[in-house]
Amino acid sequence: MNILLIEPDTQLGDIYSIALQQAGHNVNWRRDAQDAIASADDTRPDVVILELQLARHNGVEFLYEFRSYSDWQAIPVILQTSALNLPAGAALLERLGVRAVHYKPQTTLAELVTSVERQTVSV
Amino acid sequence: MSKTAIDQRLLLALAEQLKVPLVQIARRAELMQNSRRPKQQLAAIETTADNALRLIDNYLLSTRLAIEGVVLEPVSVASVLHNTAQALSKLADDYHCKLELHLSGRYEPVLAHRAGLEAALLSLGHDMIEAEVQQSKQPVVTLAAHRGKKGIVAGIFGDAEGLTADMFRRARTLYGQSAQPLNTVSAHPATGIFIDDSLLTAFAASLRVAHHHKLIGLAATLLPSQQLVLLT
Repeated sequence: MNILLIEPDTQLGDIYSIALQQAGHNVNWRRDAQDAIASADDTRPDVVILELQLARHNGVEFLYEFRSYSDWQAIPVILQTSALNLPAGAALLERLGVRAVHYKPQTTLAELVTSVERQTVSV
Repeated sequence: MSKTAIDQRLLLALAEQLKVPLVQIARRAELMQNSRRPKQQLAAIETTADNALRLIDNYLLSTRLAIEGVVLEPVSVASVLHNTAQALSKLADDYHCKLELHLSGRYEPVLAHRAGLEAALLSLGHDMIEAEVQQSKQPVVTLAAHRGKKGIVAGIFGDAEGLTADMFRRARTLYGQSAQPLNTVSAHPATGIFIDDSLLTAFAASLRVAHHHKLIGLAATLLPSQQLVLLT
């Protein structure tokens, strides 16, 4: 599966990329929302893993932009965030196609990989 | 705002920030269980733990300076920046970030707390490297000093988009309350920067947004040591 990973932290981006690659997926890792949008055309992601807290544009802004393109409206998005209080309500996130929300400090790599594979099965 | 409230906000921000290295360590350790190159993962864990320890040490130093008071001494800005550049070189290499040192001319010693100044600039350097790597495809971080109207301006500079004096002023009122008070620079709570600010404020050299040629960054304005000016 092609995974678009949007993770601003250099260490965590590296860790998640390795774990997902070890599970047999192709990972396109981007550090910010603008870069992720620009690269999505080339890589055609099957799943997006998104950190809400990004520098400059936040994850919700990314979601609005991402969903505004018809090709990308059905792609499942997994939120992976350190935020205890989500800046957007559950209903809004669901409307924006968020399929799962993980609290980063309590989500193991194995759980993240399982979550990704669950989304891809349901596509 | 009362001193206690400010202290509590800094502590909140520190707790929030410390989640980042702890998540990095926990996930690296998990990755190591299936890794063919455990030495590489161990080295990354060591770097992460060192960064977290530096953050805690800086917090402790800033708190101690605030409680016990500061004994100022004449400090050479050039030597502090040289040491900082040396200490940052490994991280810069690891992150493929070019590190430059600009010292235009010779400067008289400044009145500062040497350990506090070194700790603040080193921590600031780490944060600026992280920010540049997030924002630029060819990241360059510059440690620099120049003569300003009120003293010698020493700091860390890059081309961080959106870093303005207004934004930094706003961020000062938001840390500990916002998950990303400096969101145009960092995706994290940027607590290290506010601890650096608190460290530097202990000797009246609080951080501010400054320009160095075409670069923008965070810097402290340090007063020349009059005593040594008379001697030299």
